[in-house]
Amino acid sequence: MATVDSITNPDQMFADAGINLIIARATHADGEKKKVTLSDGREIPYDKLLLGTGASPVVPPIEGCDLGGVFSLRSAPDAVEIKNFLEKDNRRKLVLIGAGFINLEVATLLASTRPDHYDVTVIELLAHPLPLMLDAEMAVQIQEYLSEKGFKMKMAQKVERIFGQNGKVVGVELATGKKIEAEMVLLSIGVKQNLELAKDLGLEIGKFGVKVNKFLETSVPDVMAAGDCVEKQHFVTKRAVTGQLRGPAVIQGRLAAKRLAGYDIEFPGVTNNSAVKLFDKSIASVGLTEEGAQQEGFETISTTVNSRSKHGMISGVKPWTLKLIFDKESHKVIGGQIISDSEAPVKEIDTVNALILGEKTIAELTTLMCAGNPDCSSEPSLEPITICAEQALQKLRA
Amino acid sequence: MKKGDRLVIIGMGGVGGPAAMLAKRLMPEVDVTVIREEERFIVR
Repeated sequence: MATVDSITNPDQMFADAGINLIIARATHADGEKKKVTLSDGREIPYDKLLLGTGASPVVPPIEGCDLGGVFSLRSAPDAVEIKNFLEKDNRRKLVLIGAGFINLEVATLLASTRPDHYDVTVIELLAHPLPLMLDAEMAVQIQEYLSEKGFKMKMAQKVERIFGQNGKVVGVELATGKKIEAEMVLLSIGVKQNLELAKDLGLEIGKFGVKVNKFLETSVPDVMAAGDCVEKQHFVTKRAVTGQLRGPAVIQGRLAAKRLAGYDIEFPGVTNNSAVKLFDKSIASVGLTEEGAQQEGFETISTTVNSRSKHGMISGVKPWTLKLIFDKESHKVIGGQIISDSEAPVKEIDTVNALILGEKTIAELTTLMCAGNPDCSSEPSLEPITICAEQALQKLRA
Repeated sequence: MKKGDRLVIIGMGGVGGPAAMLAKRLMPEVDVTVIREEERFIVR
């Protein structure tokens, strides 16, 4: 496991850039006096304030979440604490509540680090793993793959309680009454926005966080907000959503800086393009899943195409699968999913993302021309975006 | 923002670090301060 120091950025880069860095908790912010109060009592005046207060893991309202050995993961110190806890007493029985990408990546990394050591059970309330990324028929491939790797995949199961002895977790009980032994439980069922300072400032807050305009300006003059703490607009549905990925946070932070410097660039909304690696499977998604699109009222057409990472005659060729989702009414591409046995094809999700942001249609996708090379891509005749579009074209006519 | 103005950024997850670095590059005469609770800055 990489050390914390090896994956963090040195603070010296901020000093070198002439940026003042204060390591303290901001406990209060006053939008009228335009100052921030720190935990040590210092007051920091501002002309412009940017809130990037992030989000924290949701702890579900179930018995036993406060027992020793029950963790959630958000920061590097959390990871160190979990690692030390597992190594102490050589613990091996892990129960992960939630089958999103954080829990599954933690489980697969632990299992890869110590093969055959950990006894891993994954519990998910919804019907399949990665429910925000993949549709059922794609996700079931991952479920089967993780089962083959030895994970006990308990899908569509509700946790009734976490139970312990002497203040330490010893198991998890499902709503069915089944009990699963556990020496450690990892909770990852979502996050909630950190809004204390936003409330202090009297900012308008929506269902999913601080309300901002397209320029990330809040309802209070000279206060901007960005990242996990703000409510996003989904690019496809135009509805308010919680968008809590690193990519949009970084882009919003940089967009806020540009706004303050006088640029008028609007944030387009989120498409939630994301990728995850689980053992040798690389997975990516963007836009709406087909299930999600239908819940949003779209009538969908979807197509799925198998391709390969290199030309067929090249050694090391690996299979990958692309699913595209289209809106039947507008013909626009609104979502994409990739499962791949090698890493490189997952970045094709960013091509799909660009096509979504460009509001491209089925017909337009049939003429997409991609870069090709025997070592780097499938043959042009197996380029899956165009084939998905051609198949969708045929479905439209059927 | 103009010369001598104070930009204060709270938080250094995905937003704070990139915002501070770009703000200073685009507006070198603005005073940029980042306040963070965590000991380390991890986002790249």
